[in-house]
Amino acid sequence: MDYKLIWWVFALPLFGSLFQALGGKIVVDTFGPKLGRRICGALGVAPIALAFLIALPMTLQLMRQPESERAVVLTLFEWISTQAISIPFEFRVDPLSMTMVLVITGIGSLIHLYSIGYMAEETDFPRFFTYLNLFIALMLVLVLGNNLAMLFIGWEGVGLCSYLLIGFWYKDLKNSAAANKAFIVNRIGDVGLTLGMFWLVVLAAQNKDALGIVDSRWLSYDVLLPQIGQLLASKPFDATMIALLLFVGACGKSAQFPLFVWLPDAMAGPTPVSALIHAATMVTSGIVLLNRTQEIFLASPFAMNVVALVGAATAVLGAGIAFGHTDIKKVLAYSTVSQLGFMFIACGVGAFYAGMFHVITHAFFKALLFLGSGAVIHAMAHDQDMRNYGRLQKYLPITYLTMGIGWAAIAGVPFLFSGFWSKEAVLYNALNMPDKMSTFTIAGLTPGAFAGWVGLAVAGMTAFYMTRMMALTFGTDKERWRDLAPAHHDVHAHHDDHHGHDHAHGDHHHGEDTEGFFMTDEEMNAQVHAHEHHHELDQTHEPHEVPWTMWAPLAILAVFSLGFVGYAMEAGHWLKDWLAPWGATEVKTAKNISHDMLTILSIVVGTTGILGALVAYRKLPNSEGFDLSKWNPLRRAAAASFYTDWYSNKGSGMLASGVGAVVKLFDVGIIDNIVKAVGSIFGVLLSAIGKRFQTGYVRNYALMMLVGGSAIIVYALVQVMGGKF
Amino acid sequence: MNNYVIPTIDWTAAMPVIVVFLTGIAALLVEMFRPRQNNNVIVGISLTGLAVAAYLLASQVGMPAIDTFAGMIRRDHLGLMLQLLMVVACGLTFLFGENYLRERRMAYGEFYPLAIWSTAGGMIMVGTDHLLMIFIGLEVLSISLYCMAGLAREEQRSAESALKYFLLGSLASAFLLYGIAFFYGATGTLSLTQIGMNGAQMNMQILATAFVLIGLGFKASLFPFHMWTPDVYQGAPTNVSAFLATVSKIAALGLMARMLPVLGQTQDFWFPVLFWLSMLTMTVGNVSAIGQTDLKRMLGFSSIAHAGYVMVALLAHLKNPKVVSLDAMVFYLAVYSVATIGAFAVLTLAVRNAQEDARASALHGLWKRNRFAAGAFIVFLISLIGIPFTGGFLGKLLIFQGALQADLLPLAIVLGVNSAISVAYYLFMAKAVFVDDEELTGARVGQTSGGLKLTCVVCAAAVFGSWFFGSTLQSLLGAPNEAAVKVERPVVAQTQR
Repeated sequence: MDYKLIWWVFALPLFGSLFQALGGKIVVDTFGPKLGRRICGALGVAPIALAFLIALPMTLQLMRQPESERAVVLTLFEWISTQAISIPFEFRVDPLSMTMVLVITGIGSLIHLYSIGYMAEETDFPRFFTYLNLFIALMLVLVLGNNLAMLFIGWEGVGLCSYLLIGFWYKDLKNSAAANKAFIVNRIGDVGLTLGMFWLVVLAAQNKDALGIVDSRWLSYDVLLPQIGQLLASKPFDATMIALLLFVGACGKSAQFPLFVWLPDAMAGPTPVSALIHAATMVTSGIVLLNRTQEIFLASPFAMNVVALVGAATAVLGAGIAFGHTDIKKVLAYSTVSQLGFMFIACGVGAFYAGMFHVITHAFFKALLFLGSGAVIHAMAHDQDMRNYGRLQKYLPITYLTMGIGWAAIAGVPFLFSGFWSKEAVLYNALNMPDKMSTFTIAGLTPGAFAGWVGLAVAGMTAFYMTRMMALTFGTDKERWRDLAPAHHDVHAHHDDHHGHDHAHGDHHHGEDTEGFFMTDEEMNAQVHAHEHHHELDQTHEPHEVPWTMWAPLAILAVFSLGFVGYAMEAGHWLKDWLAPWGATEVKTAKNISHDMLTILSIVVGTTGILGALVAYRKLPNSEGFDLSKWNPLRRAAAASFYTDWYSNKGSGMLASGVGAVVKLFDVGIIDNIVKAVGSIFGVLLSAIGKRFQTGYVRNYALMMLVGGSAIIVYALVQVMGGKF
Repeated sequence: MNNYVIPTIDWTAAMPVIVVFLTGIAALLVEMFRPRQNNNVIVGISLTGLAVAAYLLASQVGMPAIDTFAGMIRRDHLGLMLQLLMVVACGLTFLFGENYLRERRMAYGEFYPLAIWSTAGGMIMVGTDHLLMIFIGLEVLSISLYCMAGLAREEQRSAESALKYFLLGSLASAFLLYGIAFFYGATGTLSLTQIGMNGAQMNMQILATAFVLIGLGFKASLFPFHMWTPDVYQGAPTNVSAFLATVSKIAALGLMARMLPVLGQTQDFWFPVLFWLSMLTMTVGNVSAIGQTDLKRMLGFSSIAHAGYVMVALLAHLKNPKVVSLDAMVFYLAVYSVATIGAFAVLTLAVRNAQEDARASALHGLWKRNRFAAGAFIVFLISLIGIPFTGGFLGKLLIFQGALQADLLPLAIVLGVNSAISVAYYLFMAKAVFVDDEELTGARVGQTSGGLKLTCVVCAAAVFGSWFFGSTLQSLLGAPNEAAVKVERPVVAQTQR
């Protein structure tokens, strides 16, 4: 199989996106809404599925190659070409990129399929698939690109798609705000990423000769990366700065502390988007970046330690906040944040493969959980508040079963489910981090070991809050929505994708477009009726199982969340060897804790969490009811995301106004005045002098000529008298 | 009489000037036989004649440099290039001129012969080594221009501008003639080459140089002999202003480039003078342009500043002729000319009801009513500012480079600062085009004639073309090493003192 086919993997989603953008509307108009949407949906899924079908045999072929031949670089065209540097538009087919390609296209096609059902009542159907296909294309550029410039195209591109999809229902101000928030927070990360890239470019350019690089494509991974580690080893400061700056970029995209605040808000987008972009693929770009550039990170133990600790902090914070939320998607969002923290712990201790391992397993079970929650939301008239659920397993058996598998995977039910394996790999590597990689200790522990113990505790918390979510949704003692009054207009009932209030923040006032800011009343009504599910959840509601296009992806994802996936990858170090160039540090001796011991501990912690939650949530506790004042303060704080939003707003606001004041002082006080002064000197003063002479009278002009001429002649005479000639 | 030698005559070298001259006569004859008819035939004849002259000039490129007609005519690369530039510039002003004259209701056929003869005068100026020929050429150029400036005879400003130009021009001519007389008195010859080789009476030669420079400084509108420029440009019909700003300026600056290298003996005198004059010219031109409200006046000041830039290129060459060649100067003159003609051509759109009002407000809303002209105008402005992808940028870059290579750092700095200052008023013009708060009244507001369109297209193409084919053009304009060419010298009137 020719590796050149990789271009089709990228081109198919791109063409799909173009088709949806240009022809989608025509198709819908021609075939009527129902059939037209179906055709559009099918044509939206097809390119992704085809891309997967191309990528799969290609990956299998790559596996059969000897390890040294597992990287193929393909150039499409010269993108930037100068004498000093050439940056081609080139793809790199290697284990890391193909692993990600399979995850993106595989899970991507399942989620596309699911979207057909989920978005069936959406009027703007083609626009949704335009964005979704474009996202896939750009995500592929991100993982396949063979240089940092291409990674950057993908990086910014997926950021754009994420923005567009979070704000998909842009007429609701709340969604637009969430989209803006995601975009802006990501910009902060991107500043770090770009600075890191520039630093790297400058460093490479300065040391091109020392590195012995003769290729003009010296920014390409295959030329630069094998050399850079050796160079950075002698430049610890540069190594640390570049690594930390790149990590800032990764923090933005992968929602690490303190830049995680955008991810929960991103749940304003349609649920398939949350599953695909904000759980399975885009948010793992940070891990991909760290894996790609691990030579740089390995050159700076300090940066690695920071990565591990930030990962641990994010993991514990995400898990903590998840306790305070009753919105099913928010719980999942914070669990994503927390799980991303695990992946960074793995990268931070040098076990990059374990990070990728968790990326893969997480992609399956988190996509499954999100899609499952989407099914629940779909069945519950787009109400997202778990306090209105209860005993849903009766109505949604397939969803219950599949989501149960997802729950078991994330909660760490041992051996039988995939999440357990990858989490074990992460924690084992973290706890046994080699001493030589630690630059400081915390309470006598290496940063890795510290992160590992935190991770183990978080695993217990995860088991607890995920069990809580499942119990409140499918279990407990009664069907709580039966308590809701008919035609219920309480604000709590509005919890749906479209007009999602977050009452925990108590900011209803800018939720809907109450001011008529975007639309007239008429348009508002039209908009409401455009979605056919405008009826609210009340006691008369009868939940129904979702159509096959929605549960089939759930079933497939559930199969891949089972333990065999994890076992296959971990047993015999298969994944580690497959990602060999990225396998890096190996834990040879179990320094702190053995595999068996860790397994036992994990099981204990996980079981405690699950059982504790099962006992606590036999029914909805009063302390988590609609009356927030009865909540305990800690949980209330968690519900408000521990005020991280407030602090980051305040902090960035203060920082921005501080920097702004300084810049303003400089800009207005100094630059402006200089410019104005120059302007007035030339424009006003000199001009005025000029005008005085420019009288318009010939006699004055002639006088001027004579004066000037005389001056020249006098000068000539002086020269002559001086005897110079 | 005993040492009289019959001079060699090379008609080829003289032919372009003769053709241009005859074209003028032909145009005049047509006008005489067909009074009060439209001028299309005249324009056609004129353009044809100019095209033939341009062809003749181009065909001589690469031929060896010669002196002929007893040293009255010299053909060399520099002369050919400057003459070619003048012919092309003249033709470009004709392209848009006819329509403009009609709208001003002054489509007098005499304009064309006058302009053509004026061009012929300019061609003579740069095509000779002989001071007498230079003076005759200058007068032919100038006298025609005086008439052209007063073409709108019913308009006070036009008459005023013609008179002003005439009076001050006479003064300048007096200086020049006086200087020529000094030269003859000192050396007994009028041939520049021989003057340059003659070491006699250096004191008088220095004074002679001073007077000649004053005369030429007027024509090239160098500070402090520039004061007529804005007034005359403003009052004269716009196509005449375009002609003044290009043909006449090319002739004057070209003559300096022809004359100064020969006068090497007095370089220590005139170099510092011109050094300061070019600095002041650039600065005064740009600074004065800022406060203007009349766009023709503004372009007048802009042309003064550009003359200063050209002087920098010339001085760099003079300071270090081995390293810095003259092609930067010729190249800059060329790109300056096309951009300026284009800008003046667009300014003809300011005419309303046969009246001219080139205040900035006249161009308000041009973008809305005439995208084509407005777009072209912006192109010309960015070339005059010197923004990349235009010849103006490349030209300025070459001048800058030359100045640095010749160790003229102060000039390079002043040039840079002036370029920055100039942005202010060019942007003011650009702004005028995009502002649309003007109530427009009058017939044929903002109508683009075919000729104007053609001018814009040709000039814009030249502006961009000179960027893209910059190096080719530069090597074409650059003079070949003429030192190697043996110039035939006449032996007439060689007196020893």
